[in-house]
Amino acid sequence: MSPTLLIARDELRLMRRNRVAVIAFVLLVLLTLTAAVTAWSHQQGIADLRQRHQTAADSAFDAQPNRHPHRVVHYGTFIFRPLGPLAAFDPGVDAFTGNSMFLEGHRQNTANFGDVRQSSLLIRFGQLTPAFVLQAVAPLLLIFLGYGAIARERERGTLRPLMLQGASRGQIVAGKLGGLGLVALLAGLPAMLGFVLIAGQPGAQVEPMAVIALGYGVYLALWAVLILLVSALVKRSRDALLALLALWAVLVVLLPRIAPDMAGAAVPLDNRLQTDIAVARDLRTMGGSHNPDDPHFARFKQAVLERYGVGRIEDLPVNYKGLLGMEGERLTSELFNRYAAESYDAQERQNGTVRAIGVLSPAMALRAMSMAAAGTDFAGHRRFLEQAEAYRYDLIQRLNRLQANAVIYADDTAQDPDADRRKRVAADYWQAMPDFTFRQPDGLTLAAAALPSLGVLILWLIAAGGGLLFATRRLGAR
Amino acid sequence: MRIWMHELRLLLRARLALVALALLGTLSIAAVVAGSAEVDRQRDAIAVIAEPQESDIAAIAAWVDKSKDAGSAAYYSFHPTWDAPSPLAFAAIGMRDVAPFILRVRALGLEAQIYDGDIFNPELALPGRFDFAFLLVFLAPLFVIALFHDLVSGEREAGREPMLCALPGARRLWLRRVALRFAMLFLVLALPFTIAAIHSGAGAGAILLILAAAAAYLLFWIALALLVGRLGWSSVANAATLASCWLVLTLVLPTLAHVTINRAIPVGQGTEIALAQREKVNSAWEIPREETMRRFYATHPEWADSPPLGPEFHYKWYLAFHQVGDESVAGQVRAYRAGLERRDAAARTLGWVLPPVGLQALLTRLAETDLEAQLAYQDRIRDFHRHLREFYYGYLFTDRPFGQEDFARAPRFASP
Repeated sequence: MSPTLLIARDELRLMRRNRVAVIAFVLLVLLTLTAAVTAWSHQQGIADLRQRHQTAADSAFDAQPNRHPHRVVHYGTFIFRPLGPLAAFDPGVDAFTGNSMFLEGHRQNTANFGDVRQSSLLIRFGQLTPAFVLQAVAPLLLIFLGYGAIARERERGTLRPLMLQGASRGQIVAGKLGGLGLVALLAGLPAMLGFVLIAGQPGAQVEPMAVIALGYGVYLALWAVLILLVSALVKRSRDALLALLALWAVLVVLLPRIAPDMAGAAVPLDNRLQTDIAVARDLRTMGGSHNPDDPHFARFKQAVLERYGVGRIEDLPVNYKGLLGMEGERLTSELFNRYAAESYDAQERQNGTVRAIGVLSPAMALRAMSMAAAGTDFAGHRRFLEQAEAYRYDLIQRLNRLQANAVIYADDTAQDPDADRRKRVAADYWQAMPDFTFRQPDGLTLAAAALPSLGVLILWLIAAGGGLLFATRRLGAR
Repeated sequence: MRIWMHELRLLLRARLALVALALLGTLSIAAVVAGSAEVDRQRDAIAVIAEPQESDIAAIAAWVDKSKDAGSAAYYSFHPTWDAPSPLAFAAIGMRDVAPFILRVRALGLEAQIYDGDIFNPELALPGRFDFAFLLVFLAPLFVIALFHDLVSGEREAGREPMLCALPGARRLWLRRVALRFAMLFLVLALPFTIAAIHSGAGAGAILLILAAAAAYLLFWIALALLVGRLGWSSVANAATLASCWLVLTLVLPTLAHVTINRAIPVGQGTEIALAQREKVNSAWEIPREETMRRFYATHPEWADSPPLGPEFHYKWYLAFHQVGDESVAGQVRAYRAGLERRDAAARTLGWVLPPVGLQALLTRLAETDLEAQLAYQDRIRDFHRHLREFYYGYLFTDRPFGQEDFARAPRFASP
């Protein structure tokens, strides 16, 4: 048997004899399994609830009586953001964003009823998911198991005898790394079992799962290398432990909290009051469809009359009020989209700042990678918001078109007691309106979004590996 | 006194202790600065509401003045409300980064407005804020562990313990060392906070209470460290054991409890309120308008002698069915709120067993950034909304014209 294997076996035997280490390892496995099961059932619960609400909202929409189409514009519809299958592994920002939206004409509403405002203060302590366990807890276990790997030998004076017996420095370090690496692999395994559960889900995608598995593998390998590196550099094992604990606290706990504050300060975000008032102001300069003697709409009216070759709107073959509604919606939606895009871009810039700072912390890089691949990052939420807006616009314009084509102008402007009945269109129209379906991005898109952060992780691994090579060459030297 | 100075010199000569204290001091200042910056940003946002709001209302007023229609004024005017941060909010941002602190409402159905959020970046909110509460709850215990894990075992490993224990007054020696380490930690933690709290005008009682809680929290971790130290293990084993305790108490158990609480107390009413209220409001177009008015007058008898509706559209009917819609979901609103309060109460109860949770709950309560404060803000919004409705009712139900000058008479939200 080669010296490397012997040393690895010896290292593992030592860990097995360490009762605290074994208990910690078993606890970690239990914790991961608990996290996998709760996250899984939580995700299922949410998915069911949202599906139920979506069905209720859709059937309420379809069950509307004969109505004037503009009533339906205001009746609107509710949509719920479905969760991708990987949200069970890493729910990302799901709890921090509203997951239901009311879509109606003339307005762009916020996504409401996010978990963060409906849960106790405990939600800010973190969420028990397989991703959290692997990101935060597993490195700590590896630190406990591995801090003394080399420092211990040196402290007890067993390093030189080991080398005298013919083991090269490289073999010693490789053996220790192999032992710790095997533990890291075992620690990551339960979470990957959860992955297998997810893989059986409909809609599970191979590419992001492969990237996630690779990313977490690199992350745990990185910690194993870092631990060995510190253990090789530091004189006493206690110093190694404290240095590693400090490193862990800074990389996993401190930096992820400081970075968002810096990003928030660097890129200010307009609040809703500012945006709403700005939209209203711009709308007034562009013209409001509710204001009949607005210059923009005077021109619009002229253009419509010319297009149909008639002199009065009463002579148009279509209902002018429907056309007016379409034009008004087009204008307001353009504005909404412009301001929303500005806000989204500002948020992307904030996240870019966080990711730039995240180069300093592999835990942050991993988190970004994991959310991006799972489709649960800000980009995923933005996808939902943009699809929701596209759907809203399409639905409202369909209703306006319905008003233009199916409601007669004379009826629409009539005030007599029977006018209300004549203004209404048949209820079958509502069933014919398409329902909202969220299109999940394809696996390659998700995987590609995760690649930059995966690159950061790999760079960390290369740098730490280089450091370990350097430290190995100096091992045992005085 | 000399002996204390001597111990202090001894403590500060240890590189680990010195570095730890310097680092904690830096983080403590940084946390207070970061928290204050966030609170200042929120104060500034509230301070600049007035100007754009006035120009918004002026534009609406100029347009409504032509028709003098109170209904249009009520429909188009959004009125700002805000929740100014308390003097201690900088210490524990709590929910203030995810719940709106500015919300504009109009006199239409409140249940479709009050749950709206403000714009915030969820990826920035996800890891939590870097504030004094975070420093105290999460990081301070790690510093306690760094300074206390080898208090006795370090001397034993250096071979001095038997001698120290044989000295007269050995107990006092250990006490002195514990007291000194505690005092240094507490000082470094508390000083930046206290200065900032006094500067922002917080009450002495609340400041003292937070300082006492911080001291008690540190003492809890010190007691734990001493307890582990008594087992006679090596310094390394002590450090590993204490770090595991930290992990379990601050991360694992709270996250587990979070899952359990949310499972045990389901709160689904939020969405249901929204769905039911919208159904009720829109159904008003399908039923005789008099029926809506009857229901409205039942709860608002003071307007019951308003002239009956004619065949044309009247905004008093529009506002009435919005109000009837709100009233129809009052039961669900109460249930929703009760659910949120039960979740919160469960977490607070847990705080008696889990010191990190208890401390976080206490800090956010004193800083008025917890759920209770959020609900109190919602109550103020509800109050304001009632005044707003009554103001517009006064014009609509008596058919009084609403001119440009009437816009200035609208009720204004008053922060407590």
